[in-house]
Amino acid sequence: MIATTGRRRNPVAAWRHVDLLMVAATVGVLAISLLMIYSSTRQRQIQAGLDPAFFVKRQALFVGVGLVGLVLVTLLDYESIRNAVPVVYCGTLLALLLVLTPLGTERRGTQAWFQLGPYQFEPSEVGKLVVIVTLAAYCAVQRGELDTARLVTALSLAAAPLFLIYLQPDVGTGMVFVAVVMGVLLVGGASPRQIGVLTLMGLTAIVAVLQLGVLKDYQRDRLSAFLDPKEDVQRSAYNLNQSKIAIAAGGLGGRGLFQGTQTNLSFVPEQHTDFIFTAVGEELGFAGGVTLLGLFGLIMWRTWRTAAESKDAFGRLVCVGVLAMLGFQVFENVGMTMGITPIAGIPLPLMSYGGSATVATLLSVGLVLNVHMRRFS
Amino acid sequence: MSMSTSEDASRLRMAVLGVVVLSLFAAMVARLWYLQVLSGPTYRTEAQQNRVRIVVTEAPRGRILDRQGRVLVGNKVVSAVVVSREVMAKQPEVLDRLSPLLGVSAAELQRRVADERFSPFKPVPVAVDVPKERLIHIREHQAEFPGVEGIQLTQRAYPNGTTAAHVLGYTGEINDKELEPRKARGYKAGDTIGKSGLELTYEDDLRGGPEIEKLEVDAEGRVLRSLGKQPAVQGNDVRLSIDLDIQKLAEESLVQGLEAARNAYDPDQAKFFLAPAGSVVVLDPRDGAVLAMASFPWYDPSEFVNGIKEATFRQLNDPAGNYPLNNRAIQGLYAPASTFKLATSVAALGEGLITPGTILNDTGSFRIGNETRRNARGAAFGPVNVSRALTVSSDVFFYDLGARFCPGKCRTAIQDTARAMGLGVYTDIELPFEADGRIADAENRRRLHQASPAAFPEGEWFTGDNVNVAIGQGETVVTPVQLATAYATFANGGTVYSPRLGAAVQDTRGTEIRRIEPKALRRVELPAPVRNPVMDGLEGVVTDPEGTAFNAFAGFPHDQFRVGAKTGTAQAPPKQDTALFAAFGPTEASRYTVAVVMEESGFGASSAAPVARRIFDGILGLPLTPVATAPGGPD
Repeated sequence: MIATTGRRRNPVAAWRHVDLLMVAATVGVLAISLLMIYSSTRQRQIQAGLDPAFFVKRQALFVGVGLVGLVLVTLLDYESIRNAVPVVYCGTLLALLLVLTPLGTERRGTQAWFQLGPYQFEPSEVGKLVVIVTLAAYCAVQRGELDTARLVTALSLAAAPLFLIYLQPDVGTGMVFVAVVMGVLLVGGASPRQIGVLTLMGLTAIVAVLQLGVLKDYQRDRLSAFLDPKEDVQRSAYNLNQSKIAIAAGGLGGRGLFQGTQTNLSFVPEQHTDFIFTAVGEELGFAGGVTLLGLFGLIMWRTWRTAAESKDAFGRLVCVGVLAMLGFQVFENVGMTMGITPIAGIPLPLMSYGGSATVATLLSVGLVLNVHMRRFS
Repeated sequence: MSMSTSEDASRLRMAVLGVVVLSLFAAMVARLWYLQVLSGPTYRTEAQQNRVRIVVTEAPRGRILDRQGRVLVGNKVVSAVVVSREVMAKQPEVLDRLSPLLGVSAAELQRRVADERFSPFKPVPVAVDVPKERLIHIREHQAEFPGVEGIQLTQRAYPNGTTAAHVLGYTGEINDKELEPRKARGYKAGDTIGKSGLELTYEDDLRGGPEIEKLEVDAEGRVLRSLGKQPAVQGNDVRLSIDLDIQKLAEESLVQGLEAARNAYDPDQAKFFLAPAGSVVVLDPRDGAVLAMASFPWYDPSEFVNGIKEATFRQLNDPAGNYPLNNRAIQGLYAPASTFKLATSVAALGEGLITPGTILNDTGSFRIGNETRRNARGAAFGPVNVSRALTVSSDVFFYDLGARFCPGKCRTAIQDTARAMGLGVYTDIELPFEADGRIADAENRRRLHQASPAAFPEGEWFTGDNVNVAIGQGETVVTPVQLATAYATFANGGTVYSPRLGAAVQDTRGTEIRRIEPKALRRVELPAPVRNPVMDGLEGVVTDPEGTAFNAFAGFPHDQFRVGAKTGTAQAPPKQDTALFAAFGPTEASRYTVAVVMEESGFGASSAAPVARRIFDGILGLPLTPVATAPGGPD
């Protein structure tokens, strides 16, 4: 035991405690992701006379970048990350502000991207991570005691970037923020009463948003289509129906890789991004779907355990935040493709095509690995 | 201590978080199981329907052939220009370029492209029957005409032009009323269907099995590939009893006869005969086979291919054109006049009211009550028996017969016999829209009066009415095909056959699939004592110098081919007289019955008989001369 003390201080020594199960689950999901992105874009690209592997190649690049980021994140002691929180937080707010200026790019009514050559960078994706770290850092200092003033402070820390994201507007990311805040506050010391009040306020906000016309038409349509998908097949509900048809058509064993007609014939819109789970459902079936959910479950479980075993409150709250973020996104995304949650533009972590989200998610996995590696030091 | 409680609280909260996440995963797995395993099959069907589109293309219709297999209605392959909707949507200027080439306005082309009758998954035909040079031009300048191509289509073709137009009928696009009951049998909007004539009667045989192609489409409806094709099966051919040669002969003779009548003067109305319309029916009395059926004026069925032009259709329905779409042979209603005397004779002899030897002195007039009826043109034939009365067409003799049925309440033997022989009743010919006609009797009189007291002021039946019936005037009206049927019945010895146009249904290789059997409707008793004196009288019509049609049959080889016939001239005020003539031969074993009816053409003996004479000449292979009116009558 004494002999190991010295090694613990060596940053490299922490690598002995890396969570291999977490790493394996992450790699497994990434592998399925690349396969399904290829499957769901291949036919359309061929149809258009383009490179069938175009999307999968780009995604592989994003994964590469993300993995490098992941390794870099694990190399730093998360103590130093905590020290950098004020700078990172302010930088993120600035980025979210700038994306609303002409420097940002608009796509389908949402102003959320910076165009960087052939790539886009979406600051709100990284913003989620920054809010987790910031909230964890703030609550950790409070040692589990949050009075109303501190609670308001904590909420304000999340509300500032949330407000900027709302201006884009990006409802999906906003919802993830809410989940993260709830998760961190739950474990970070908010009293049951506070949580009750917050939940009530949250529900009121949702009703207000739906009723007061704050949402754009397509956003409200997508949300209400969820409530009654048979109502209007022509519009938003069409997406949902096609999505459900695709998943259900897969049956127990799936229709086979590259064999899904819903997938090959582009019946599911946004299939390689938000609706990637439908490709899994159709081509790999219940077996594939459960395997994927199992891998996600593994990641959740390892994150939860890391939180429980963390040597300090900051590490624990970071893991709880990541758990809330990933858990909510997986549930919301997979749920929407199966018609049990409203359609919102939330990518499936580690699965959906898209650089910013992939890199941000891999960075968050890196944070959890970091906390896990250093749980004894 | 406080540290420990905080630790406990934290552990509890972690547990809550864990339970929440676990529940969410359980919910997802449950939902996945429900969708994929429990309701999978339903959704799989939906996924299948999603991607497969079925495109149905009509098969070429079967042909209609004459009795010798000569084509009356066939198919021809024509070139059509089709355009891709997808390309036209992106490059509408292509239609502008196409417009002058096809001689169709760009707006019209636009309309055709948008025509919903055509499958969205196939190129749309915008011009049919396009000359070859135009197609070649398009092919040579394909860069200017993206999305435009030439294809081959089959279309109805009429190698004999207007010949037998009414019998053959025409085809057209199915309408809603026709479509509704046929949907279950695979008809769809835009399909071609027989609209009239045999095209309608034999629709089920002539219509083939369509080509059914399964196409795989993507979410935007783009066709990716064909998943398989059930090839089209051309419809079956229908072979008719019609003989093209006799049909042409009948039509030609009818036209000549009408033309001749127009050059004849009508002293009653002090003008030339109008002779606007007429019809001829030639039957084989042995089985009711229709050898020819002509109705003038006629129309060109090819006008209906690709949809008839509105102006043409209006013209066809203009009263001034004498309704060329009507098939007068089965729809024209005419008083049979003296041709009806066949039924009167058979009834009187059959009932025993007269014998062949019963003689009446025809003084030229007949008194009934305080009314005097006269023969046409005031003729007086002296002593006549039934045979001579038929030969010379003595009205007085038949007035008397009509009255003989009416001691007290009139008996209906004449009417019954007439209907039994096929007059005034449906013949059940396999053509749509046949008229039934009417035989005047007390019952009909009462019904007409009740229905329309203004038009038929008299509701009672008197002896004078029965007298009128006996000579085929009054309310009695028959169709030419009924007239032919009645004479065919007499000619064959009493079997009433339904006139039959179809002979057999056969496949495209000529193998018979179904024979269309003769249909005997009933029998009329014609024992020798009844039939012989009538036959003598009818033969006399053409062979006796006093016979009404003797002149029309002058020079006819009676020794080789004996003809029995009857002339008729029906008053049809305010119109000019209708000329009628019914004949059959050879009388010992008749193979042909000919009925000719010509509107506003004067005496049957002068105008109609020569038409039948020419038809017999043609059938016998004798040299043909143009029809001229014959001196004769007055009948």
